[in-house]
Amino acid sequence: MLMKRVLTLAFVTFWSIFVMMPILWALVTSLKPPEAVDFGATFIPFVDFTPTLLGWESIFGVGGGSVNLVPALFNSIIVTFGGAAISLVLGTVSAYGLSRFAYKLGFIRNADIVFFFISQRIMPPIVLSFPFFLMLRNLGLLDTHLGLILVSIGGLMPIVVWLMVDFFNGIPRELDEMAMLEGYSPFETFVKVILPLSAPGLTVAGMFAVIFGWNDFFYPLVLTFGQVVTLPLAIVALNATITPYWTLSAAAIFAILPLVAFAFAMERFLSRGSLSGAVR
Amino acid sequence: MTKLYGRLFLLPGLFTLIAIIIFPLVFTIALSFSNWSVANSGFDWVGGRNWSAMAENDRFWASMTRLLPFAFLTVVIQYVLGFAIAMFAWKGVAAGRFFRVLWLIPMMTTPVVMSVVWKSIFNETVGPVNFFLTAAGVSPIAWLSSSTPAMFAIIVAEVWQWTPFMFLLLLAGLLSLPKEPFLAASIDGAGPIRTFFAVTLPMMAPVSIGAIIIRLIEASKIFDTIYAMTSGGPGSSTETPSYYIYIVGLRNFDLANGATLSLTYLITFIVLLTVIAQILTRLSKPKGV
Amino acid sequence: MALVGHDLSVAVDDVTYLSNVSFTFEPGRIYVLMGRTGAGKTSFMRAVSGLLPLDSGSLSFNGEDITHAPVWKRDCAMVYQQFINYPNKTVRQNVEFPLRKAGLSGTELSNRVDSYLAKVGMTEFASRIPSQLSGGQQQRVALARSLARHSRILMLDEPLMNLDFKLREQLREEFLELFQGENESVTIYATTEITEAMMLGYEILVMHEGQILQSGKPEHVFERPKNKLVAQIVNDPPISIISAQITGSKIVLASGVTLPVPTHFRSLAEGTYEFGIRAIDVEPATDSASTESGEVGFVEVSGSETVLYLHTKAGEIVLQIEGIHDYHAGQKLSVALRPERMFVFDDSGQLLGSPKLEVS
Repeated sequence: MLMKRVLTLAFVTFWSIFVMMPILWALVTSLKPPEAVDFGATFIPFVDFTPTLLGWESIFGVGGGSVNLVPALFNSIIVTFGGAAISLVLGTVSAYGLSRFAYKLGFIRNADIVFFFISQRIMPPIVLSFPFFLMLRNLGLLDTHLGLILVSIGGLMPIVVWLMVDFFNGIPRELDEMAMLEGYSPFETFVKVILPLSAPGLTVAGMFAVIFGWNDFFYPLVLTFGQVVTLPLAIVALNATITPYWTLSAAAIFAILPLVAFAFAMERFLSRGSLSGAVR
Repeated sequence: MTKLYGRLFLLPGLFTLIAIIIFPLVFTIALSFSNWSVANSGFDWVGGRNWSAMAENDRFWASMTRLLPFAFLTVVIQYVLGFAIAMFAWKGVAAGRFFRVLWLIPMMTTPVVMSVVWKSIFNETVGPVNFFLTAAGVSPIAWLSSSTPAMFAIIVAEVWQWTPFMFLLLLAGLLSLPKEPFLAASIDGAGPIRTFFAVTLPMMAPVSIGAIIIRLIEASKIFDTIYAMTSGGPGSSTETPSYYIYIVGLRNFDLANGATLSLTYLITFIVLLTVIAQILTRLSKPKGV
Repeated sequence: MALVGHDLSVAVDDVTYLSNVSFTFEPGRIYVLMGRTGAGKTSFMRAVSGLLPLDSGSLSFNGEDITHAPVWKRDCAMVYQQFINYPNKTVRQNVEFPLRKAGLSGTELSNRVDSYLAKVGMTEFASRIPSQLSGGQQQRVALARSLARHSRILMLDEPLMNLDFKLREQLREEFLELFQGENESVTIYATTEITEAMMLGYEILVMHEGQILQSGKPEHVFERPKNKLVAQIVNDPPISIISAQITGSKIVLASGVTLPVPTHFRSLAEGTYEFGIRAIDVEPATDSASTESGEVGFVEVSGSETVLYLHTKAGEIVLQIEGIHDYHAGQKLSVALRPERMFVFDDSGQLLGSPKLEVS
């Protein structure tokens, strides 16, 4: 019995350390002066080395041979939230239709249409990247915010539809009927009755859309040339050139911080609200 | 009248999706029958030339055969580990908000950025992994410049990144299991191991299959980690189909070939996925029912 | 000012929901749809409200054709079985919501809301939200919301079904009061219980498998059911149907027991008929005249009555006795059948005579 306890504790501890390890490593490394890196690995600040803010300064453009990540941050924000917002609107409206109306096109029914939406996530981005490249080039949208936003919708809308159809199916149809009997057209019913009840579902869908959108690396890589560089792309670009590790690590921490903070904020918001029962 | 409203709700999203997905897909198919490249832009019909080239493309098929065991291995590890920590977070030592949030952190980080960090961790001269190996008396391993260690490093990065996803789905599944079968099992005197295999695992079958399939889909698309950590190297020993096709189509700008390869990749992928889904579903059905 | 339905029919995927339904409803009156579960009562109401599209037939109100009018333009109010209210609005806001849409505002709005909240006894709960209320209270809110609208059509689909017995009795009384007032709507009320139908209905329509079997004043339908099926639907506990012969001037049951022919069956020719008798008209026998004996199959105690299901040689007989008695299955019992309370049906099930209808 005790043996089992010890083993489980050991496993839990090991896993927790493993989870934190890369992040802590990057954090610690970001505070290292050059000497602490070049001769082998060092670990504990103040014990193995004296921490400096050299790495952190360099990512904001301070100091020689440095880079400024702030524009990349803004690019990520614009592209991510732009794409997520549009996907959320289009996806939610479609999901409501799929939940409430029975569509019939030959032998195609609602379940087939929902499957069609969801199956887009199976598509490897590489398959569509060639036409996207050529199409955006012809439209003059390569290396623009708009171009990236448009392309991201294809990947984000399925997620929204998947989550929201499930969510809407959990709201009794009688509510819609009641509203219509009371004089509201289907559109008014959607906006004035159902949407106010959909906050938990919309939050989760929005959250997933933002997370997936922010983390996208492939399309920014393929469809931009240096004007609209998103944050993940900027970090990888640093990796390709001879960038000192303290800069690289500071950049990495800086890059993951916004999303981690966002996720924490959403988690707080959700566990306070009525998540249990909304997303079944 | 109501029908009209119904259409108004669905059509904007549906049309947008068709425009963004179907149209480019048709474009890609057309590309595969052309010879669009740096030299020739435009759709000049070349028949099945690209397709027969694809069949003889050893490097492409090497990447495909490499992908299969890789995807399986990484998903299986993620599943086992994810289930283990989900069990602990469900009823064991780690049941509590602190661990739940802690163990979800990797999922909230940007994968490609973390791959950059992992690259520095596995660095042969100044990385902590080799530091600990030498401290333990083992000779340092050339992580990213030999093919098997490189694969290993990539798998570690993937496991770190995506086990929390399995953890999340499996924990949600565990939390929604009914209590009665467990009560029955304990009354029957079943110990924890017996209970796990006879009660927990079977009841978690649908959630498990769903989670495994989703992760298999995502794992097969792998690109970011390869790009950031090894660039397909050393040589082409860690090249996955996505990466190789990227080189062909968007580095060498041989779009026609790239399109052909990507379509082959897609079709194979879908076929295998369907087969695997069928197998898994059949496996999970109780025998004799 | 009437709601007229003509030959309404709806079938979906080989299931018939309504079949040639026709009716004329006047405003200010309550029409009760009676029938078993699945008879078509809900389909009827959904068709009238527009929620169920019609395959054929026409619907008009006041001469104006509304067959193709969308749901939100029909001015219909519906109270559901499963007490639905807007979950994120307070009681007061729930009642206000449709009124605002109809254009009411200011003092007229608040007066109307206050008056209906008072009528259903929910004034002190006005600022609660539905999840904080009990089932009965939620149903009252739903009722207030529908009544306050003064809509031209008001429908209630078995509104008391999901409430407990005591509450049902209480609300039934309240309904009567509520509907007595300035109610100018065409009111349609669906139920499976004959007591409610008798209490509330100006007219009842007996439905079965999507069709209207009989419509008329409650007493009329109850005392003169057109056929066996109607008789079975409107009687609870079930009416006992037994086959018997008229020979000489006696009714001869299958068990051999004979009964005198009652006055209202005087004109019946000899032959085999099906006789019906209500459970309330069957009593445990005190003496051996006109009795049939058998074995108790099933005992049901409900409210303050005992219902016994008896297997006899004459057929299955159901009897209802006041008070709670201690009978058990297998017990032998003799019952007296009163011929003057019997119904008689011909071999196609049509009614020939009843206690209030002499056989012609």
